[in-house]
Amino acid sequence: MLFVAPALALIAAFLVFPALWTLYLGVLKYDLAGSNAAAPQFVGLGNYRDALTDPRFANSLLLTVAFVGLSAVLGQNVLGFLLAAVLRDAASWVRGVVNAVVLLAWILPGTVVVFLWQALLDRGGGTLNALLGTPGAAWTLDHPLATIVAFNIWRGTAFSMLLYSAALGAVPRSQLETARTYGAGPLRTLRDVVLPHIRGHVLTNTLLITLWTFNDFAPYMLTGGGPDHRSETLPVYVYRTSIEGGALGYGSAISLIMLIVNLAIALFYLRLLRRRSA
Amino acid sequence: MRRILGVVAWLVGIAFFFPVAWMVFTSLHSEQAAATNPPDVTAPLTLDGYREFFGASTGASPWPYLINSATASLVSTLLVVILAMLAGYALAIRPVRRWTDALFFFLSTKMLPAVAGLLPIYLISQRIGLLDNVWLMVVLYTAMNLPIAVWMMHSFLREVPVAILEAAALDGARLPTVLRRVILPVAAPGVAATALICFIFSWNEMLFARVLTGVVAGTAPVFLTSFVTSQGLFLSKVCAAATVISVPVLAAGFAAQNKLVQGLSLGAVK
Repeated sequence: MLFVAPALALIAAFLVFPALWTLYLGVLKYDLAGSNAAAPQFVGLGNYRDALTDPRFANSLLLTVAFVGLSAVLGQNVLGFLLAAVLRDAASWVRGVVNAVVLLAWILPGTVVVFLWQALLDRGGGTLNALLGTPGAAWTLDHPLATIVAFNIWRGTAFSMLLYSAALGAVPRSQLETARTYGAGPLRTLRDVVLPHIRGHVLTNTLLITLWTFNDFAPYMLTGGGPDHRSETLPVYVYRTSIEGGALGYGSAISLIMLIVNLAIALFYLRLLRRRSA
Repeated sequence: MRRILGVVAWLVGIAFFFPVAWMVFTSLHSEQAAATNPPDVTAPLTLDGYREFFGASTGASPWPYLINSATASLVSTLLVVILAMLAGYALAIRPVRRWTDALFFFLSTKMLPAVAGLLPIYLISQRIGLLDNVWLMVVLYTAMNLPIAVWMMHSFLREVPVAILEAAALDGARLPTVLRRVILPVAAPGVAATALICFIFSWNEMLFARVLTGVVAGTAPVFLTSFVTSQGLFLSKVCAAATVISVPVLAAGFAAQNKLVQGLSLGAVK
């Protein structure tokens, strides 16, 4: 216990205590400036009531679900699996090169990749428009959700790819060959031979990328949540209302709703995992 | 079918690589060549972008920001490794009672949305005058990386065979000796991977750095954002900046590549 104590103390002080303080801030009418800054007022569940009736919150929640569903659960998962499956039989140097290149996107600092995407998607001087022959197309303005979805797939697929590469290595080749001998197609093989072996990996991977994407702040850097709140996912919403707008109490209430959603997602996946072992 | 899939894999690979290749190429071009669109791949290469980034003509040096980032990442990584090794050791090799509960507690703190912790931390550091202080970032990054580091250490240290620990105990080795001479050699790759991953996370962190630091303690990623705003028209210079800021994490990332997934999937994948 002596060895665990220092780590526990640090985590308690800098992660748990702030979270509890967030809980407390969430029941206050507390702003960075104005009369509510000097004397925060107790409003009970008022902030939560405000959030749940605020169309901007509903919009943000919906966008977050779409963002997570499209870019993580579908995009990163499927693309990562396909890459891993294709590379499994590729020459080892090909596998090495593609792994390294996909990993680049995952490792680079967020501000660097955001700058690169902004430069490439730029309306006037962006290389994407020059390559596609669509001069003047304003990707971030006309398709904000699609932009952050594509960005997050590009950014995060590496993890799923590496994880599925490791997982597919555990599928016995003899079973794949048996399936082929009996004339099973790729989809059939996937469902009946591969998936049962890697079910745990799929769940673990989906849990992690769901949580990372749900809490991801990068969309703010890319589109600023706009235009007209059309890419304002929940972390962006919290940042804009509390840090930029100064509504600390309201922002804390929304953070806490996010925390509850996070826990719900984690519990849901743990349930699915347990069902396997039962 | 197989051939088509191979081609698709290559195309996806190129799509992933393209922005990075563009960055490095543009950083090596003169500003005039960098301004052509689509990029002119035959343009002569020059290091002017890098010279300009390091302040050749303006005298504005990015070194303070790079040093801030290095301090925050390296010191916090060192602290994380020491603390996580102790905790991981206790949980993996000498299981404390209810160790799964402890592990889950560590993991659950990782579910707090970063943005939720930001508000109280901002208010407290403002009150005690720690805003824009690099040591605040050191402590925060240590705390932020600890949960995942403890998990990773636990998963790596668990692989140390119990037999050699018993042999060491039989020979009368004390704990520091056991840690240094028995456990470390076996777990070294895992410890190194944990350290590299924590280094990457701290170096890349941008949300807290953006809100809690300013001109004094600003880290390199935050500096890049303001550099893009002020110097965005000079593509070559900005690309040089982005490349320089990326080099440390790229080096760390490729060194850790093989252990990355085992570590980050919390030992669920071997």
